[in-house]
Amino acid sequence: MDLKTMLETLVTNGGYLGWGLYYLAKFLAAGLCMGIGALGPAFGEGKIGAAAMEAMARQPELSGTIRTNMILADAIDETTGIYCLLISIILLLVLP
Amino acid sequence: MTKDRVSKFIIFFFILYIGLGIINLFIFEMNMEGIGERWIVSFGKGGFFGQLNPMTLIMSFAIMIILILIARKIKFERIPGRVQAAVETFFDSFWQITEEVVPNPEFRRPTFVVAMSLFLYIVVSNVLGGIPGINVTPLANGINIQLFTDVWYSPTSDLNVNLTYAIMVLIISHVFAIKSKGFASWFKSFFEPNPIMFPLNIISEIAKPISHSFRLFGNIMGGGMLVLILSSIVKYFVLPVFLWAIFGWFFGFIQAFVFSLLTIVYIGSLLE
Repeated sequence: MDLKTMLETLVTNGGYLGWGLYYLAKFLAAGLCMGIGALGPAFGEGKIGAAAMEAMARQPELSGTIRTNMILADAIDETTGIYCLLISIILLLVLP
Repeated sequence: MTKDRVSKFIIFFFILYIGLGIINLFIFEMNMEGIGERWIVSFGKGGFFGQLNPMTLIMSFAIMIILILIARKIKFERIPGRVQAAVETFFDSFWQITEEVVPNPEFRRPTFVVAMSLFLYIVVSNVLGGIPGINVTPLANGINIQLFTDVWYSPTSDLNVNLTYAIMVLIISHVFAIKSKGFASWFKSFFEPNPIMFPLNIISEIAKPISHSFRLFGNIMGGGMLVLILSSIVKYFVLPVFLWAIFGWFFGFIQAFVFSLLTIVYIGSLLE
């Protein structure tokens, strides 16, 4: 039994309770995915920012290069958060 | 003189925008139908290979034409003008990164060309995603064309484009590796620390294009969707301008830079 027929049977047999369960699971899953998935990149970006600040305070003449590299490292770091965003979008919009 | 006129024009346009936005605030009705859906034309048998994404094709050709026009307009002379100096400085910084990362001197130029053409295409397509334009959404019956309700469709928000480029980079990096190291040495590099690591090496090679393409796709697509939902909530009043600037221009530029930098790194890491 694939997902679509399973959901159809849930909705037809469960009535309002079925609809409620369907939307509850969908929104809860999307919110939890985004919320927990944002933790990792946040910690990582905090560490990158702290290290960059320290380096800038130690060598203010290199701050331009450090800032560029910091933004680059941030962009690479937030990849896992982007994956979670994609899964949330799929759960909210693409799911039948 | 011209700067004064430009600033006057910008102020006039901004006041006009705010005035129209206040009018819009009262008559606009939120319509979220067709968000996140693509206009897909299927022909023949259909299925995976029988589908076409017309907006991606149209915008790709438009971006190519824009790039060709820009490239024809810049004249390279002995005494550099303003535009030429900016372009040369920018290309030179990229060339320095390539020189640092790629060890073999004979592979530096092809790597630079591949990474730079990917960068130019992606940056133009991302920046188009920060400019209001024609928006096409599919409905149940036919398609719905709207003017200036959303940004231009950017081809990098279609996974097919990004995955194509990422797989192309993977194949190019392996071809360069075979050319530089020879086939036996390249094949041996999969069993590098010891033969038990062979599956892990294969998986890490497969994971490269996936993370490479999904990073760009998620940033552009997620950013665009976030901006669309937020600007629907405030009924397109003033806020979308700043969101378009951040998500379209700033993040778009950074992501294009990251994509081409990772291209250079992936190609350079497999060489010698």
